[in-house]
Amino acid sequence: MKNTSRLSHLYRLGALFLVFIIGFLVIKQLTTPSSWNYEVWYRGASLIENANKPLLHGGNDSCKTCHEDVVKEVKKLKHKRLSCEGCHGPLAIHVRGDEKIADAKVINQSRWQCLNCHEELISKPKGFPQFTSEVEKHTTIEEGETCLKCHDAHDPTP
Amino acid sequence: MYDLPHNALVNFILPNNEEVWWSLMIVIYPFLTGLIAGAFVVSALYHVLHLKQFKPVANFALIAAFCFGLFAGMPLLNHLGQPQRALQIFGTPHLTSAMSVFGYVYSGYMLLLTTEIWLIYRKFFIQKANETTGIQRRIWYVLTLGVTTYHPESAQLDRRLARILAGIGIPWAVLLHGYVGFVFGSVKAISWWATALQPIIFLSSAIVSGIAILILMYTFIHWRRRVSPDYTMIKKLAIILWASFLFDWGLEMLELVHIWYQDSHEWAVVMPLILGPLYGSYVWGQIIWLSAVPVFLLGYAVLYAGNGRGMLFLVNVGSFMLLSQVLFMRFNVVIGGQLISKSARGFVDFHWDIFGKEGVLAAVILLTAPFITYYVLSRFLPIFPKAENDQS
Amino acid sequence: MKKTNSDSSPLGSKSRRVFLKQIVSGTATTLMIYASGARGGHKIARMWKQKSTKHHWAYIIDVGKCIGWGGCVRACRQENDVPEGVTRTWVERYVVTEDGVYVDSPKGGAEGFEPLSEDLKEKAIKSFFVPKMCNHCENPPCVQVCPVGATYKSPEGFVLVDNDYCLGCAYCVQACPYGARFINPEKHVSDKCTWCHHRVKNGRQPACVEACPTSARIFGDLKDPESEVSHILQEGIWTVLRPSMHTGPSCFYIGLPREVI
Repeated sequence: MKNTSRLSHLYRLGALFLVFIIGFLVIKQLTTPSSWNYEVWYRGASLIENANKPLLHGGNDSCKTCHEDVVKEVKKLKHKRLSCEGCHGPLAIHVRGDEKIADAKVINQSRWQCLNCHEELISKPKGFPQFTSEVEKHTTIEEGETCLKCHDAHDPTP
Repeated sequence: MYDLPHNALVNFILPNNEEVWWSLMIVIYPFLTGLIAGAFVVSALYHVLHLKQFKPVANFALIAAFCFGLFAGMPLLNHLGQPQRALQIFGTPHLTSAMSVFGYVYSGYMLLLTTEIWLIYRKFFIQKANETTGIQRRIWYVLTLGVTTYHPESAQLDRRLARILAGIGIPWAVLLHGYVGFVFGSVKAISWWATALQPIIFLSSAIVSGIAILILMYTFIHWRRRVSPDYTMIKKLAIILWASFLFDWGLEMLELVHIWYQDSHEWAVVMPLILGPLYGSYVWGQIIWLSAVPVFLLGYAVLYAGNGRGMLFLVNVGSFMLLSQVLFMRFNVVIGGQLISKSARGFVDFHWDIFGKEGVLAAVILLTAPFITYYVLSRFLPIFPKAENDQS
Repeated sequence: MKKTNSDSSPLGSKSRRVFLKQIVSGTATTLMIYASGARGGHKIARMWKQKSTKHHWAYIIDVGKCIGWGGCVRACRQENDVPEGVTRTWVERYVVTEDGVYVDSPKGGAEGFEPLSEDLKEKAIKSFFVPKMCNHCENPPCVQVCPVGATYKSPEGFVLVDNDYCLGCAYCVQACPYGARFINPEKHVSDKCTWCHHRVKNGRQPACVEACPTSARIFGDLKDPESEVSHILQEGIWTVLRPSMHTGPSCFYIGLPREVI
């Protein structure tokens, strides 16, 4: 192209820039999420998505629906403040909708199930019941025996 | 041996502190952008300040800066957990975050640099478009934007525009690298990072690294081409390098002295850090071997070593040491800061990863890529003035 | 050859120069406005501009009641699908001696704690457990530093992460003074305790609070004057972690010993 002026290259550079900028702005507009909250600067839909995540634990009240007698019983005993799911696992693994999908038995029946809370550690609050050798029967425990030999998990008073 | 901070009896780190989240990629990123800023400043010595003695390296510095710039974003992209979302930095930059400016500042700067180089090399592109045929001609033609006649009146206009761009480019390069310093310096949670001096320290060490790498590249290229280097210019560059480093090192030491003097919660964790995990790389590596020694070496080189090959050799050794100092500094700052556990009672172990995503191999590849690119470009573009005994 | 309407400027006539100047400045301004996303009149502002009037949640930890069971950590792990190696909440054990402070948190306390060595037990002056998690600060540095707005403070006070928007750059992980944030090794995005936002919005309590058998962890609404949290905080003897950072934590500690950082 022979009929270019001394500014032609700048006009073409400018045109190139313009095309690029317009293209960029269009792509930016298309890729920015529509629910964007410009006040606080986040994707508005995210708040809803976060709120809709599945719940796994039901809480002790949810166990009442099918196990009302057990729950009422435990409420009178020393372990009343424990979370059922803390030992029996989350509700969502046990029940879906109204149907039971798996057992909620406590699989781990070893001493650790109890000692996890009750092992004697100096860091625990004073007055919290801890497994000590001061109790005579605790000194004669045999290999393989668990706490369940003398204590009921729901009613731990010996 | 060092004590643990805050009376700790054993090294205690928080459960989420076991991994150093910002690893080698975030070490080489500021190193690369630093090279860009430094190289650009050297090119501005001629293009803006019109210091004639630096004309031989003006275009060389620009092309080098361009090559570093092409790869500056790669370590970040490699580091991201979700790199395909990287473009969100253009869509919704969160301006309360220093890091949010990266997208626009970096791409804008690359556009500026590309335009400046284009304006300078446009005449060469036109010449090549008229000389060649076939596919080669197509490529040169595209580079001329279709204007294959060179109007002599454009020369002055192009030069003035290039000068304006170079002038704008200086504060822009300052922002491109200075913001990185702010990214670190504004994090109050990490005592080794948090200081108002961080942007200035990063920037001045960037200039040091840029000058140093250019001296090294220049010497190497002229040695390979068996062309005599411009000793006078190198000596002047070395003086600027030396002065820049004295300023940079002064700031780095000032920051350390300041933390030590205040003897506050920061010193409580910084002291065991630099006497413990960072003792080798910071005290011996960065300060003694790579700062104190090159200061004397470069000082001797520019004051007493004459104007010939002896001076050139010493200047190169000094430049290499200073380049390494800047790399060490990036490592010590980025990794070192994360070694202090947020528990304030222990230090995290840094594990060197060789083949992983953020491993040594990846870092080496990303650090050598700009030089390979420079070599490729140098086969097509005239970067240095043609010399009589040029054997390239 | 003199041109009639041009000065010596290579850009041409004065009117053309003015025109070009306008184009450049107009484009620059437009670009800057777009860059700042000012379509809705956005200002560079602090977080939490849309505070809810319905709820103001608070979390209280009573240090003296924690028994170091670790069921809270396990419940959180299950409820929120937290991978091994990282944790959204954890329990630390402190043993204060004359020679110094011993702290440990094996796997975040998820499997409880082993007994201390005899040596340590002898030297111990006091010992206790401290549960920790994200403090859902009023002035969260993590939200401030997120480059794209992938973490935010909800109108009710929860600091949340947008899993589908986060880049995984880990700047928020660096900025948190409490070490509460991490990069999820499976999802490669930032992650942290959400106070079980999905549970609270459905009228439940966070999983860790429900799990706790000794009421060491309590959660509630400060807007409800009858709530337990309101009563406790009204007594005024509480503290927060790292108050010098001025993050304004919403997790309040009762009976926090001074050795805890």
